Amino acid sequence: MATSRDIAVIGWAQTPMVRQTDLTETQMLMRVISDALTPLGLTRADVDFTCLGSCDYITGQAFSFVSNLDAIGAWPPKRDSHVEMDGAWALYEAWLRLHEGDIEIAVVTGSGRSSTGDPALIYPMEMDPFFLAPLGVDPLTFAALQARAVIAAGIADEQSMAEVAIRARGSGDLAVLLASDYVRAPLRRHDLPPITDGAAAMVLATGARARALVARPAYITGFDHRSECHNPSFRRLDDSPSTRIAAAAAGLGERAVEVAELQAAFTHEEMLLRHVLGLGAGVTVNASGGALRANPIMATGLCRVGHAADHIFGGGSRSLAHSTSGPCLQQNLVCILEDRP
Amino acid sequence: MTRYVESTITFPYRRSLGPVLGAFMTALTQRRILGARSGDEVLVPPMEWDPASGAELSGEMVEVGPAGTVESWTWVGSPTVQHPLDRPFAFAFIRLDGATTPLLHAVDVGSPDRMRVGQRVAPRWKPQRIGHITDIACFVPGEEPTVDGEEPTEADGPAADVAGPVAMMDYVASITYRNPVPPAADRAIAASREQRLLGLRCPICERVYVGGRGYCPIDAIELGPDTEIDLPHRGTITNFVVVTPVQYPGQTETEPFARVFVLLDGYDVVLGYQPVIDLPVDDIHVGLRVAAVWASPAEVGDSDGGGMGQSLGSLIGWMPSGEPDIDDPDLVNRIF
Repeated sequence: MATSRDIAVIGWAQTPMVRQTDLTETQMLMRVISDALTPLGLTRADVDFTCLGSCDYITGQAFSFVSNLDAIGAWPPKRDSHVEMDGAWALYEAWLRLHEGDIEIAVVTGSGRSSTGDPALIYPMEMDPFFLAPLGVDPLTFAALQARAVIAAGIADEQSMAEVAIRARGSGDLAVLLASDYVRAPLRRHDLPPITDGAAAMVLATGARARALVARPAYITGFDHRSECHNPSFRRLDDSPSTRIAAAAAGLGERAVEVAELQAAFTHEEMLLRHVLGLGAGVTVNASGGALRANPIMATGLCRVGHAADHIFGGGSRSLAHSTSGPCLQQNLVCILEDRP
Repeated sequence: MTRYVESTITFPYRRSLGPVLGAFMTALTQRRILGARSGDEVLVPPMEWDPASGAELSGEMVEVGPAGTVESWTWVGSPTVQHPLDRPFAFAFIRLDGATTPLLHAVDVGSPDRMRVGQRVAPRWKPQRIGHITDIACFVPGEEPTVDGEEPTEADGPAADVAGPVAMMDYVASITYRNPVPPAADRAIAASREQRLLGLRCPICERVYVGGRGYCPIDAIELGPDTEIDLPHRGTITNFVVVTPVQYPGQTETEPFARVFVLLDGYDVVLGYQPVIDLPVDDIHVGLRVAAVWASPAEVGDSDGGGMGQSLGSLIGWMPSGEPDIDDPDLVNRIF
């Protein structure tokens, strides 16, 4: 598809990322959308399109996204959509929508309260309904099996995984971490993401409007997402072909990126993704701490795009954001941001 | 201090299996495991389509196993209620003999020290099989399949109630969620205990919201205690629906019952989906004047009342006020 390279991220905001918030998802969105729009001098009345990413299974309430609509401002009427996906996929839909050329400003969000229940019981419901969900196969099991494959392929080892954890969290002693017990071998506590409540909102604008609103729009110059078979039984777990294809389609090979924000909830995922994307030592990966520091499910990927956009806002010229969904990196999204269209 | 509510939601899914998965599940009742042929490959678990290309497969099924080889595993030290075993076990990728892809299932070996890649394992069948992946209770070390709780015998056939092909499968998950109650909802419930119907008036557009909805969706702002007003206890039925109850799990109604929409006097507020009291279903009509009915303190209990997500607390329904009907053809359009 012929794409316009003249669509940009012009701002974003995130709520405090906490283990448990007393705020409802709607309240979080109410505040974070305002926090994203206000510094740009925009109000909800300026927004032409909204797309929200959230998950009913996490909330435990059917059609929970309907109450989230209270946060977007129903008047004047705006075009609205929802994805049962991370907000990074809401961003993808908004980016597509802006290609139509008839509107200028879109807001996307990702929101989730992971603290509502036990992830080990909630997530199996989203797996293969015939062979995996009935066995209660949980995220830690999938991650551990993939970690074994990544280690066996020589892409990571338990020490390098612990080093990823220390870098991401800015703390930890290697010897102490490696002496700790396995949670789900070969994964230890430090290899796992925290449970986080949080939300993010992002503002997109088309070319002239973007340039009128901010000095340095972060132009989306490449955007693609690909999916693999839903059942890890049929996939090579020491590879991520969907990431590789999405990155190529997004134009990663055209020019080096300075910064990459990867949605790697587990330490070995970051190492696998770096390997598959071919990110060299010169690329700063997950300076934000990534999902190992804060993992607000359904917003984690959108936050990656936000941090990659911050690099452009702050004077950088090219950055990459990655988001993922499904067991063992089933589906992967790559977004390239640049300082000029 | 924000109040939290716990609710346990059961997800009872019944799924159709189709020809390929149906054949696989049917074979399980006979203690056989089938794979799906895809060119030179035999896919276990079976698929209707090629996992890589999406091309439809022939549907040819091939018997595999019953024993197989562990290709990878991880140890589950603390099983959840959803796991197939209630004691520590391994989740393992097991490549059954004759298959080219691994099946993920549980291995019962007691200790992670006894698990290794390359280990030979065989299924331990449940004595009663229904055509479900958990008909295989787990895998255990060795070459020979066993039946849980007994020595294997050739006479042990499928369970009596699944003599024919298996076409459907049930899946039930029960999840407990803990969610915060918005302060506005709690204030509305507290007011209802004093037989007050609390509204929240948006300071920008002046629209009024009930049921503890602490936001104005038009202006996208939160509505705090400073926006609270007391609403009248009388109104007019604008529309109604008579529900003939279907006996789904949790349904307590057995006879047809009504839910009405009430436009409050003097305010542009409609309370949706309200119960009626002392008002036979056949007597309900648009324009009927009604008055709020409140639970006495003794009746309140722990219920937050309300329906369709509106927390109306001690407001338990509406009964005829005895006033003359309102004759307004536009009333029927007011459900919001």
